Amino acid sequence: MDIPNQSGANGGMSRRNFLRNSAVLTTGLAALAASLKPLMEMEDFPTAERFMQKYYKEMTPADMALVLKRIENEVEKQYGVRPHVRDLKPMDGVEFVYCLNLTRCIGCRKCVHACVAENNQSRSPEIQYIRVLRLPHGSMDIDKAEHNYNPPQVPEKGFFYMPVQCQQCQNPPCVKVCPVHATWQEKDGITVIDYDWCIGCRYCEAACPYFARRFNFTKPSIPKERLNPEMSYLGNRPRRQGVMEKCHFCIQRTRAGRYPACLEVCPAGARKFGNILDPNSEVSQILRTKRVFIQLKEELGTSPRFFYYFDV
Amino acid sequence: MNKKTNTTLWLLTAGFAAMALMFFFDGFGAPPHRPQIPLVATNFLDTATWRRSYADLVAAKEDLSDFDCYACHDHKTPPPLHFDEHQNVIVAKEHPDIVMGHGSHGRNNNCFNCHNDANLEVLQTRDGKELKFTESTQLCGSCHGPTYRDWDAGVHGKTLGYWDRSLGPIVRKDCVNCHNPHSPHFPGRAPAPGPHPMREIAAPAVEHHPET
Repeated sequence: MDIPNQSGANGGMSRRNFLRNSAVLTTGLAALAASLKPLMEMEDFPTAERFMQKYYKEMTPADMALVLKRIENEVEKQYGVRPHVRDLKPMDGVEFVYCLNLTRCIGCRKCVHACVAENNQSRSPEIQYIRVLRLPHGSMDIDKAEHNYNPPQVPEKGFFYMPVQCQQCQNPPCVKVCPVHATWQEKDGITVIDYDWCIGCRYCEAACPYFARRFNFTKPSIPKERLNPEMSYLGNRPRRQGVMEKCHFCIQRTRAGRYPACLEVCPAGARKFGNILDPNSEVSQILRTKRVFIQLKEELGTSPRFFYYFDV
Repeated sequence: MNKKTNTTLWLLTAGFAAMALMFFFDGFGAPPHRPQIPLVATNFLDTATWRRSYADLVAAKEDLSDFDCYACHDHKTPPPLHFDEHQNVIVAKEHPDIVMGHGSHGRNNNCFNCHNDANLEVLQTRDGKELKFTESTQLCGSCHGPTYRDWDAGVHGKTLGYWDRSLGPIVRKDCVNCHNPHSPHFPGRAPAPGPHPMREIAAPAVEHHPET
């Protein structure tokens, strides 16, 4: 119910009203400013350069050179180490496949930590791309898996171990749900993320049936002496708070012809990696001659490029 | 300005003022404490094999006196073998590092299945072919055919280096880089630390499965 305001009725504003309204306005603005204080503490505001950066697929080589320079400067400023950042493109006639021998894996988790060291993941809080599941013998039921096992010695009697990481699906659900096309599948089979394009909505994390994607809830912390300076744009350059990340088959190594870090550190030789289009590669040989048991959760139709197999 | 607008403005102001006070005096308290996760020990990041082969020792020009058999043994008389009542070979006390455990059946119990009794500094296959210590992979392959075939194709065993051979070499490892020939089964080892929780959580209660 509106009651006409008598004091303001004759057209102008009375002195009393003016003072009162001014006081309200000033207090209100001051309070608003003060309540936005947490925003003032936010670090890492995007620079004009980063804000105006083009979409990865639209960048010319000259644009990319500038971006790589900017990233090198940012990393040097933040960590005091001058990195070498590259943007490696997929090779022709190459499609990567990973094979993991469940008979050989001893569950030592060295792959988990070699991956963290290679790919500059946050150490505390901890981000890891590989989860090693412990399963009882005689079962392939993921519901019976345990990843917090911590016995004095591995392997344990009666169990086998199944490391799970990004399966680099041929039909990746995570790519379909991304609202801004910040993640896509490259022609060599690696699903990549542009960390500068990701808006952190975490739809892809929800879509992934393998729990392969990780979110940077806080600013990642990497000790300077553990920073790997050999970086790539779509790979292991340091991420910001609020973006997704995941295994990319060590893109900075594999696109330069090297094996991934998790493979090289495996003491049991359980991990095999290579080009499936080359009939003489190790992975071709495995898929031809070994008992390849699964693509994990193959009933979902994601068609992973990650195969688990057995000896014997 | 009507009364309703005025009331709204005052309420908003009061709300913002309250928030401002809360922020300035840290009224919401500190964020929940996150445990600092220690860095993983660097031995878990080491890509070396856990064993060094004779070939490695030769390449590194290390002390090979352990392999100088005739410092103790005699050329003319091959060392005698002694067996216990279960037909297991008794390893001489001069070889304290050797634990015989080759094969789960316990029948590979004779030193001279692999060593050459006439010349202890070489190995021999069952068909009498002599092999140097650096060629032990062929000796292993003479019994473990399918595994040797896999190893030869790069399917069995540890590899390092380049998957693309046009860009760089692949580093292959021999059988004895990972397996102790006297006791080839992989020994157990301590696992690297598992995932840490974001917050301290109480130890999980012991699960009770009522038997129904």
